[in-house]
Amino acid sequence: MQNEPMQAVRAAVACEALTLENGLTVLVRPMPGYSGVHAIYGTRFGSIDLEFEVDGRRVSLPAGVAHFLEHKMFESEDGDAFAKFARTGASANAYTSFDKTCYLFTATQQVDESLDILLSMVNEPYFTKETIQKEQGIIGQEIKMYDDSPDWRIMTGLFGCLYHNHPIRNDIAGTVESIAQITPEMLYDCCKGFYNPGNMVLAAAGNITTDQVLAACKRAKLPAKPAQVKRIQPQEPETVAKERLEFSMQLAKPCLGVGFKEAPVEGAKAEIICDMLTELVCGGMTDFYRSLYDQGLVNPGFGGEFLVLDGCCCFLFTGETDQPEKVRGLLMDEIERLRKEGVDEELFTLCKNQSYGEMLQDLENIEDSATALAGSFFRKRSLTEEIEALASVTRQEVDEALQTMLRPERSSTVIIWPKQEENA
Amino acid sequence: MLQRECLAPGVHLNCIPADKFNRCRISLHFRFPASREKATDQALLPLVMDRGYAACPDMTQLSRKLARLYGAALSVETSMQGASRVLSVSITGIKDRFALNGEALTAEYAAIAFGVAFEPYFENGCFSREAVEIEKTTLARQLESEINDKRLYCVRQARRKFFGDSPAGIERDGYLADLPAVTCESLTAVYQEMLRTAQLDVICMGADEAVVRRMILEKLAGIQREPAQLENYLYMPAQPTEHFREEMDLVQAKLCMMFTWNQCAKPEQLNAFRLAMSVFGGSTTSRLFLNVREKQSLCYYCASRFASPTAFMMVDSGVEPANAEKAEQAILKELENLVNGPITEEELENSRRGLLSGMTSVGDSLAGLENWYYNEILRGGVINTPEQAASQLMQVSAEDVRQILAGFRYSVGYLVTKKEEPSHAE
Repeated sequence: MQNEPMQAVRAAVACEALTLENGLTVLVRPMPGYSGVHAIYGTRFGSIDLEFEVDGRRVSLPAGVAHFLEHKMFESEDGDAFAKFARTGASANAYTSFDKTCYLFTATQQVDESLDILLSMVNEPYFTKETIQKEQGIIGQEIKMYDDSPDWRIMTGLFGCLYHNHPIRNDIAGTVESIAQITPEMLYDCCKGFYNPGNMVLAAAGNITTDQVLAACKRAKLPAKPAQVKRIQPQEPETVAKERLEFSMQLAKPCLGVGFKEAPVEGAKAEIICDMLTELVCGGMTDFYRSLYDQGLVNPGFGGEFLVLDGCCCFLFTGETDQPEKVRGLLMDEIERLRKEGVDEELFTLCKNQSYGEMLQDLENIEDSATALAGSFFRKRSLTEEIEALASVTRQEVDEALQTMLRPERSSTVIIWPKQEENA
Repeated sequence: MLQRECLAPGVHLNCIPADKFNRCRISLHFRFPASREKATDQALLPLVMDRGYAACPDMTQLSRKLARLYGAALSVETSMQGASRVLSVSITGIKDRFALNGEALTAEYAAIAFGVAFEPYFENGCFSREAVEIEKTTLARQLESEINDKRLYCVRQARRKFFGDSPAGIERDGYLADLPAVTCESLTAVYQEMLRTAQLDVICMGADEAVVRRMILEKLAGIQREPAQLENYLYMPAQPTEHFREEMDLVQAKLCMMFTWNQCAKPEQLNAFRLAMSVFGGSTTSRLFLNVREKQSLCYYCASRFASPTAFMMVDSGVEPANAEKAEQAILKELENLVNGPITEEELENSRRGLLSGMTSVGDSLAGLENWYYNEILRGGVINTPEQAASQLMQVSAEDVRQILAGFRYSVGYLVTKKEEPSHAE
């Protein structure tokens, strides 16, 4: 890489990073010329954290607690956090994924006040039986909304087939039945275990300084010492739990999902290789995708993705197709061909180029920048390390990975058929 | 901030400073009258144009060309604006300073965007027959799959009932029944008509303006232009409320309510509409969010939005099938309460602060800037900066909000809900 562009890249990924005495990671990217600030307060606690020990005590949770807790954090004894943010003009939100929960806001004014609200809503939890009951109704509606989404059902179906015991089998929001078991005590245990500064990140980007963020942390009176928490994940065999799942929904076209279960991978380079593999197998640049598309076998949305979590690593290829069996067979054949012949050198270089551009794109807006900073905390590596890892990946390494990954014996297939065909 | 330059009748170059961004963007927006008769050709056009152009006719090679330019993103899309259709060709990519081998990236982006827009790949004077047939299959699949997304399906069905045969109701994605009649010849004719009649706005953000200006003039040089006059505003007349119900196999019912303002919206009223929507159902401090969702737990989502070109308000929500009627009544009650009851200072100012914050941050993203200014251009008349709009928003009163909301008439309620179990065997 030439020196001049690398200097521009270093400037683009630069951020101020520090760890406070209480263990909180603070990441700030001041962005001159921007008006707004995007801040994320996140914890390494997601839907897969169902068993843990805190202060030597074992806690077991029903599915959906992390997401439930996210909803509840917006309530406090002195009112709703949305209402408090409304008074500062900030737009606030939150989300829960498999391995993290994040609270965030975007603001252009009263940023210090918004930071105070963000830090206090998470650090001063307030739960009662009554407020928990009320939330069960709203979350029940959310669960039902996802039940009607074929994309979501394909994904959860694949996780259920690939894994015997790993909690990724559960929906992030749980079920109406599982969230009915939630008690205030469980929520307080989760706060103690996972909502402690040592397990959290505060990332901010835009029209803000590190001093502003540190001053907010000081005002927030965060816990002085991190609590000791130990995650417990169940043993997971290498084999898939189920090779095939088929069901029907009210759809126009069948949906296909093919998943591959992998041994856990670690490190930026390994994850970049896995990401590249999805593009090299059936991305828009491949002759394989072109052939499927020109034959009318898949829609433009057909493609692959890769997911890595604690104790779980898998590839998912999904899309709509009139001929799911045929497309599945062609996909398997293409993977075998790549395994035997190796990936195309030109395509490999283009994938690297594309990934480089995407990384820069993710550092352009305040939202994306703060998300990239928080993401680097969750992935336990810096953005500079990721860019360097991308530059060092070789085609040979991708070919080697293909020898052990995407194996048919560790794959599962999910097909959703249109309901009317079932009746025909 | 926006520098707008008229290069020819109906052709404008709009330059927006974008120094702080890592990427640059060039967009060509062709705006022309929507036609029911040609709707399916007009819908297919972007799919065929997106496959390649004369200098790079192959779709896969074009994908690779974009990847070589560090993953530049090319899009060719169509959208509806009242009785007009907009076809947009856009390219976004990293700036030259990030090019690892010193490539002149922005010049390449301009060549691709203008190539796709003005020099499509033709065989014997027409779009490739093979490409047209393949994309007809893609469009047919897309149209058939509409039902997969129940929320979107419900919204589209409600719009169909609301607009009926009005030009504002022409389907963006065309009509399945018309697809067999589309040919490479008919598609080429629609394309050439677009070049001849469209109002063209080119938006340049962070790319070389001189190159873009030169390209516009070069590409238009051989075209006999007759730019069409376009209507900016229309409305649907009020009617007695009609209810529609569709049953299918689903878990959560979808309810979409369409209201007409019963007259054209005026550009100077826009900020009052913005504040009215935010107070009623467009924010997390709105009546619909706080009362219908949070207090009454009647739906998971329940939001209102307003479309100024066609003066309609839509409230869409996801509801428990058994609660659909109750949710509908609760939504109407909230509207009535705002029209006839008090609007608190706090809710008004909370909404205003949220909108002001959004206006202040328009300049923080390429997409934000482009959306803002192109929407201002579409509205016709004075082009306001976000700062000017913010200043106008400060003047909007609770009474203005009340008057805006009082003007809405409930026209169509569309419910997509769970199949009822048969009460006896047939």
